[in-house]
Amino acid sequence: MEEVVLRLEGATYRHSVYAPLPLKPWRRIKGPGIFEINLTLQKGTILGLVGPNGAGKTTLLRVLAGILPIHRGRVYSRSEEIVLDRQQLRQSVGHMPEQVRWQGRKTVRQALLELGEMRHASEKRIDGILKLVGLSSRKDSALSELSQGMRQRLTLAVALLGSPKILLLDEPLNGLDPVGAAAFISLLKTLTEKGVSIVLSSHQVEGLAGIIDRLALMHRGHILAEGTLKEVAKGLHLDSKTEIKGTGQVPHFSNYEIQDEDVEIEIQDNHWTARLEQAQPHLLAKLINDGVEIAEWGIRQPNVVEMLCAATGQSIEDVGLEVASNAYVPLRTFGGEEE
Amino acid sequence: MSDFTRVMKLAKRLTLERMFSTRMYIMLPVLLLFIPGMAWGFSDPNIVLPGGHQPESAMEVLFYASLGVVFGATMCAVLLSYDAVSRERASGVLELRLSQPMPRAHQSLAMILGSWKAILIPTWILLIISVFIVRYRMGEWISFADFLVYFSSTALILLWYILFTLLASSYTREQGTAISFGVGMWFLFTFLWALITTMVAFASGVSIGQENDASWIMLEGALDLLSPNGVYHHLLETRLPQIDRGIVAWQSWFMGLLWTVLPSWAFIRRMEKILP
Repeated sequence: MEEVVLRLEGATYRHSVYAPLPLKPWRRIKGPGIFEINLTLQKGTILGLVGPNGAGKTTLLRVLAGILPIHRGRVYSRSEEIVLDRQQLRQSVGHMPEQVRWQGRKTVRQALLELGEMRHASEKRIDGILKLVGLSSRKDSALSELSQGMRQRLTLAVALLGSPKILLLDEPLNGLDPVGAAAFISLLKTLTEKGVSIVLSSHQVEGLAGIIDRLALMHRGHILAEGTLKEVAKGLHLDSKTEIKGTGQVPHFSNYEIQDEDVEIEIQDNHWTARLEQAQPHLLAKLINDGVEIAEWGIRQPNVVEMLCAATGQSIEDVGLEVASNAYVPLRTFGGEEE
Repeated sequence: MSDFTRVMKLAKRLTLERMFSTRMYIMLPVLLLFIPGMAWGFSDPNIVLPGGHQPESAMEVLFYASLGVVFGATMCAVLLSYDAVSRERASGVLELRLSQPMPRAHQSLAMILGSWKAILIPTWILLIISVFIVRYRMGEWISFADFLVYFSSTALILLWYILFTLLASSYTREQGTAISFGVGMWFLFTFLWALITTMVAFASGVSIGQENDASWIMLEGALDLLSPNGVYHHLLETRLPQIDRGIVAWQSWFMGLLWTVLPSWAFIRRMEKILP
């Protein structure tokens, strides 16, 4: 079993929101947030936090970064029962917030030196980090002159200042060009090899499966499912799909004991693509025997979006376009039961 | 490295950033005109002030020249620090700061010291120039005690304005609101306070507008303790025995202490709870 570096137990934080009344215009009430979060971070792994807008990903990262207090619950260090306070959390965590808009005449190096004062980071260490994130050639550039990708790199450099054991990244790939994103992912892999645990929140879920070791699906402040991709898919009863591409006449899948509703067919010119709901290990041989022209055949694992939809019990449109509602209770639990 | 050293090092970085900022370069000519300029004007041997009064000592000249601090340096303090928190909050840099292990109280202290020193250093330099101007024009030095009171009082009034502005900056999410609060506060204490004093005097039945009316002078002196500019002048008046407005030195210094401690405490407490 992997070494545990941090454990959240029943962590709850609720934002305070304005709810003015005619005679009490200053009134505030407890609003959305994160609820009863149980999460374990393992050494040298990347945990992907995925959820629609307003799911609570950023709030959870801020709690883990020691920026927001926990109203209920506890944070434990490693596998031992050591309760961490916010100050101790900040010692061991490096936080990269979403879209920091660095601006001003200050240089990149000066900005790092200033924040480095708060972490006892030496100038040598700062120069090393600048090199690591690929900013050493721009260290004397003014912050206002940086492109979005460079700003992202600088924010990562700040997160790395204290040689953190845990790195929290909120939408780190935003603004990075494809080459920059690939280099960034490679850097993350290097860091995990050195034992750094990473929590990564991202909307760019398509490429996420290749980066993360574990996945946590968030919705309305709750973690609906957490585990490796396979564990999450299994817990949500999502099977692998079979994808077949061929040319010529589209075969009648009902002849192969496959229900019409379990097949999705796309036809383009002389080519067709069929997606079958379940893995069909013997189908290929049968189709070839019957003379069907097969160009490609593959088993496709369920993707992160499908998992999120399955976990929330909503369609892609509902999950993607939903504005955070007043109901803070998830529609379905991990097991798929209605609450 | 001790916590104190870290706070001071961080404050130094913030000071240098603000002291050599574009807005300081814009404000510097104004400060030059206001502080040494007033010292030059008031130290004219032939000057006659309203009421036929002529300054008698170097300290009295510097007391009148302190109007340059009240009008120029305090405004500069507001303009230098109005976005210290709000801009970082809007850009996301505040979130980075808050995620650092340095306690928030220490960060706040560094922010106060950094912003304060950025205006204090140029102002003190200009005050030293003013002392030399007065010596050149009047042939008289101020005493060491006068020097201490003059420079420490000036440091205090700048600190108060910095604290109010930082506090406003920490509560506002928009920089426009922060600067509106700062400038509004400056107007209140610099221009409108006389109006408030007059209104209170009228409501209290004190005759208004009669020169040398004892009850008016006493009331004005008492109400000035509630204004940072008023306390600043009370502190300077402790070195001018010919001025008596019914406030003794310890009362002025005590109010100075209150004006320092309460906003500092409020700002540090605010920063300990601030959300990014």
